[in-house]
Amino acid sequence: MVSQTSPMLEDAKPESATERIIERAMKIYQNYILRVLLQAVLTVWAVTSFTFILIRLMPGNPIDVLVEQILVQEGISYEEAYARVASSFQFDPDASTLDQYLDWLGDLIRFDLGESITSPGTKVIDEIARFLPWTVFAVGAGLLISFILGIVLGMAMAYYRNSPLDHLLSLFASFITGIPNYIWGLLIVIILGIQFGLFNVGQLRGTYASDVEIGFNYPFISSALAHAALPIITYVISTLGGWMLNMKSSTMSVLNEDYVNVAEARGLRDSRIISAYVGRNAMLPLFTQLTISIGFVLGSGVVIEEIFVYWGLGHYLFASITTRDYTSMQGVFLILTMTVVMANVLADLGYGLLDPRVRVSGEK
Amino acid sequence: MSEPIMQLESIYRSFKKDRTDIPVLQDVNFAVNNLEFLCLVGESGCGKTTTGKILAGLLPPSSGKIYFEGQDITTLRGSARNHYRRSVQIIHQDPYASLNPTHTIYEMLSFPLFHHKFVRGKHQARERVWELLELVDLTPVEDVIDKYPYQLSGGQRQRVSIARALTTNPSVIVADESVSMVDVSIRIGLLQMMMNLRDELDVTIVFITHDLALAKYFAWEGRIGVMYLGRLVEIGKTQELIATPRHPYTKVLLSAIPEPDPEKTRAKRHIQLRSEDIPRLTELPDGCTFHPRCPWYVEGVCDVDVPRLGIPANDSNNTVEVACIPVQRGEELRLYES
Amino acid sequence: MTRKQKTSDTLANDSLTAIILEIPLNLAKAIWGFLVKISKNRSGFIGFLGLVAYFILTFILPSFIPFDDEANLDEITGPPGSRIQLAVHVDNADVYQSLEDLEGRVVGVVTQTGGPSFIAPYEDTLTVEEFRWSSRRTGPGIQAALTALANQEIDAMLIFSKSVDEVITNQEDPDLKALFDANIVISNPTLGPRHWLGSDTQGRDIGSHIVHGGRILILTAVLGGVISTGIALVFGSLGALLGGTVDNVLTALTNLILAIPRFPLLVVLAGLISFNNTLFLGVLIGVLGWPALMRAIRAQVLSLRERDFVEAAQSLGLGMPHIMFREILPNMISFVIINFIFSITFAMYEQIGLVVLGLAPISDYTWGVMLYFGRTRGTLFNSDGASMALSPVMAIALFQVCLVLFARALEELFDPRLRSGLV
Repeated sequence: MVSQTSPMLEDAKPESATERIIERAMKIYQNYILRVLLQAVLTVWAVTSFTFILIRLMPGNPIDVLVEQILVQEGISYEEAYARVASSFQFDPDASTLDQYLDWLGDLIRFDLGESITSPGTKVIDEIARFLPWTVFAVGAGLLISFILGIVLGMAMAYYRNSPLDHLLSLFASFITGIPNYIWGLLIVIILGIQFGLFNVGQLRGTYASDVEIGFNYPFISSALAHAALPIITYVISTLGGWMLNMKSSTMSVLNEDYVNVAEARGLRDSRIISAYVGRNAMLPLFTQLTISIGFVLGSGVVIEEIFVYWGLGHYLFASITTRDYTSMQGVFLILTMTVVMANVLADLGYGLLDPRVRVSGEK
Repeated sequence: MSEPIMQLESIYRSFKKDRTDIPVLQDVNFAVNNLEFLCLVGESGCGKTTTGKILAGLLPPSSGKIYFEGQDITTLRGSARNHYRRSVQIIHQDPYASLNPTHTIYEMLSFPLFHHKFVRGKHQARERVWELLELVDLTPVEDVIDKYPYQLSGGQRQRVSIARALTTNPSVIVADESVSMVDVSIRIGLLQMMMNLRDELDVTIVFITHDLALAKYFAWEGRIGVMYLGRLVEIGKTQELIATPRHPYTKVLLSAIPEPDPEKTRAKRHIQLRSEDIPRLTELPDGCTFHPRCPWYVEGVCDVDVPRLGIPANDSNNTVEVACIPVQRGEELRLYES
Repeated sequence: MTRKQKTSDTLANDSLTAIILEIPLNLAKAIWGFLVKISKNRSGFIGFLGLVAYFILTFILPSFIPFDDEANLDEITGPPGSRIQLAVHVDNADVYQSLEDLEGRVVGVVTQTGGPSFIAPYEDTLTVEEFRWSSRRTGPGIQAALTALANQEIDAMLIFSKSVDEVITNQEDPDLKALFDANIVISNPTLGPRHWLGSDTQGRDIGSHIVHGGRILILTAVLGGVISTGIALVFGSLGALLGGTVDNVLTALTNLILAIPRFPLLVVLAGLISFNNTLFLGVLIGVLGWPALMRAIRAQVLSLRERDFVEAAQSLGLGMPHIMFREILPNMISFVIINFIFSITFAMYEQIGLVVLGLAPISDYTWGVMLYFGRTRGTLFNSDGASMALSPVMAIALFQVCLVLFARALEELFDPRLRSGLV
C-alpha cells in the first residue's frame, strides 16, 4: 500500500536516515519478539494448567491402578495391597487438587518437574531426558526428509504440470496422504516384515540393541538407525504427500507472478530462477505448515511408537497414562506443548527473516 | 443555486496501521447540491474513494458531521436511518468484484426489492427488475436477466451494478471510478446513460475519478472538486474552474491534459513541478501539503500555515473556492527559485 | 413488447405445479452436471466410484450378509479362500460328491466346529458320527475322524481346508501320513461357502465383519466431521463478522486448543470419559477438531467481507443475515465442503488411532476393533491369520484414499486457479 522506501530519498543525510530506519525496524522487531514470547509463555501456562485439571479428573488414581494389579496377581486383601502401595508412593490421594496444583506450579518455576509417582526416586525430568532425544531424532529426521523430498517433487510437479509425471505423482501423493500413519506402520510391519521377512520386527524393539555401548561408535549408531528406521519411514511416507501437493500449488501460483516472467525475460539461468525466485517464495507458506505438522507428528507419535515398540516420548506418555502416573504425564504434556508453541514462535520469527515485508512492518 | 442535499462538515478520517494513525482525510468541507453533477478529482491516495464511502455511510468519519437533507446522519434512527441508507447508493470501480459471482442478475436485483418490500411476489419482482435493466440499456433483457455475472462483459456488468443501485430509488449515487475499468470504447455510452438517468430519475450524481479530462467532459454543467493528499483544494463550477484554474495543483493538472488538436497541445506550456514525489501520508509536510512540489511556493507562508477553502478576496464575480493562501490574498504568483 | 410477453411467461412458470415439477428436474440436472464434471477428472472419478462402492458395502450389503458371530474352533485363522471340504475314502471318490449323495450313510463331523450346523439340514437323511474336538485345530478329534474314514468306519467327513493342509498334507506322524495318503481324497473341495477374506481367531468369517464393521465407523467419522466443521463455520464467521471482543476471545481459544498436542489430549480425554457408545467418540473428536478449520474460515470471511459486493449489499441496507447467508456463505461453500471431507478423514484417523491403542469403546465390532484384536492377538505374526488385521487396514486405507481423491477433485473443480493450471 504505502511505499516503504521513499523516506530514505527525502532525507538530506542518507547514512543517518538509513541508520534511523534500521534502528526503528529493530525496535519494532524487538517489541514484536517480546510480545510473541510473552504470548508463548502464557499459552504454555494455560495449556498445562488445563491438562493438569483434566489429568486429575481421569478415573482411577495411580494407587488404585496398582492396587488392582496387585489384587489380581497376588490375591491378597484390598487393605493390605492398599497399604503396601500407598507407602511406596509419594502421593497423597486425599490432598486437594488445588494444593497439588500449587505445589506443582511452585516446583515448575524452579524448573523442577517432580518425581514419578509410580517409581519413586526417579526424576521426571531425567525420564524425559532419556526418552525425548529418540523421539526428536525419529520425528526430526522423518519430517526433514519428507519436507525436502516433498519440496523437490512438488516443484517438479508444478514445472511439468499436466505431464504424465505430474498425474502420476499427484495420484501417488493423494494415495499416501490418505492413509493414516499408523496404518502405514502396520502395513510396513505386516507386508515387509512378516510376509517378505525383510527384517525381524521382534529384534527392533526399543531404541537400540541392548548389547551396544552408547557413544560415537559404529555398532551403536547403526543399531540406533536400524531401530529408528521404521518410525522414520512411516513419518516420511505419511507426511510426504501433503508437502508435495502444497508445494505444487504454491509453486504454481508463484510461477504466475510477474517477477518470475521478468526474470525469465532478463535471461537469467533457469537454475537461478528456480532457487532464488520460485523456490524461495513458494516455500514461504510451507514453513508455517511445517511448524503445525511438528505438533501433529509429535502427538501421533504415541501410536507410532506403540506400534513399533520404539521407546520414545510417546511410548513413555502411553505408559504413564495407563499407570496414571500424574507427574510423568504432566511433564510430557508440558514438553509437548512447549515444543508446539516454540515451533510456532520460531515460525513467526523465521517467517519474518525470510519475508522482508513482514520484517520491516512488524506485522504478523 | 439549488438546495444542498448532502453536506460534509470538517470531516477527518484516519486509518490505523502498526499503531500509527494515517490521516487519509483532513478537514474536508463541501456540499452536494440537489440534482447536480459533482465530480471529485484527484490522484490515487488523495482520499477521494474514502470521501465517497463516507458520503454513502459505509465508513464513519473519525470526526466531523455529515448532513443528509439537512439532518445529521448520526442522529437518524429507525426508518429515517433506513431512508438515508437507501437514498445514497454507491457504484464501485471494479465491475468484476462488485457483483456476487454466485447470484444471477435477477437474484441480485430482486434481493433489495424484496427486502425493502418494494414488490410483492415473484412476478412483480421480475417485472421491476425487467424495467430496471431496460433503464440501464441492457437490452434485450431476456438475454441478461437469468445470467450469472461471469457470463457478461465488463460494460454489461457495470450497467447491472448501476441497475442494482437504482433498486432502492436513491436520490444520490456515488460513482467511484465507475468507468475506469471499462473499455474506453464503451465509456462514453455508460457516461451518457448515467447523465440520462439523472434527468429521468432525478438523482444527484457524485462522480469520483482520477481523470480530469473525463470530469471536464462529464460535469460540464456541474461542479468539480479537486482533491490532493486528503484535502479538498479547489471546488466550483466546472466551466469557471476549467477556464481559470486558481489553485496551483489544478493548474498543473490542467496543463497536463492533452488537447485533441496537436498544435494546441504543443503550444500549451507544460508546468514543471519542483518534485515528482508525492509525500507519504505518514510524513505529511507542514503547512500546505502541496508546498514541496508547488512551482509557486512562497517561503515562510506555504510551509507554515494550513490553507482553508475560501473565495479569493479580490475576485468578486468568482464563485470557485480555493485553498491556497497566496491566491486568497490576491497576490500575483511567481515561480519559486531556490 | 418483449417485456409483456416475458411477463406472461413468468406468470405461467410461477404456478405451483410447475415449480414442484421443476425441483426433481433441476436436482437431476445438477447431479448429472456434477457427474459429467467429476468424470473428467480421472482420479476424482475413481475416488467417487470408490465412495459409492463403500456406501453399498457398508450400508446396503449388511442387510443381505449376516454378521458371522459363531465361533468355529477348527476354522481359526484360515487364510483367504478357506472353506469346508468333503473328505471321502479313495474308493468312493466318484460316488460321494455332495451331502445329498450321502443319504443313509455315516458322516463324521468334529464337535465345536462349523460342521454340525452345516450338516443340520440333512440330519434326517444321514447318520452323524461326532468326534470330540480338543484344544488344537489338528487335535485328536480330527485325527480320530480321519483314521475312521481311512478305515471305512465312516463314509465321509467334513473338514476345513486349512485343516486338510495341516492334518493330511503336512502330517508329521509317518504312519498316519501313509494311511491318509493311501485312503483319503477330497471329493468335493467346494462344499462350504468360501471365506473370501479368511477367518479370524475364533473361526468367524472376516468378510462378513468387514461388511458390518464400516457403518458405525463411517457414521462416527462423519459425525465428528459435521461437528467440527459446524463449530468452525459458526465460530469463524462470528469472529470475522463481529470482530472486537468476540473475535479476540474466539481467536485466543483457537490458539490455545491448537497448542495442545491433540492426539495425546484425546487419549487422556478418552480415558476420562469412559463411554461405551462409539458415536460419543465422534462428538468428542468433533468438539476438539475445529480450531485449524476455524482459522481458515475466519480468514476467508474476513477477505470476503471486504469485497465490493458485500459493501454494495451493506449500502442497499440488506442487513447482516442476508450478507452472511446470501453473499458470503455461497462464495465459500465449496471450501467448506472440501474441508468437511478432510475433517472426516481426520476424525477417522483419530477414532481408529484410539481404538488401536485400546482406549476407545470396543462394543461395536468395527474395522478399528478388528484391527485392535488382530494386533493384540498376534495375527500380525501369522502369515495365515494376517487377514484379520490386514483386511480392516486395507478397508480403512482405501476408504481414506477415496475420500482424499474425491476431495482433491472437488478442490480442482471449484478452484479456478487450480483449474486453469490443470486443464
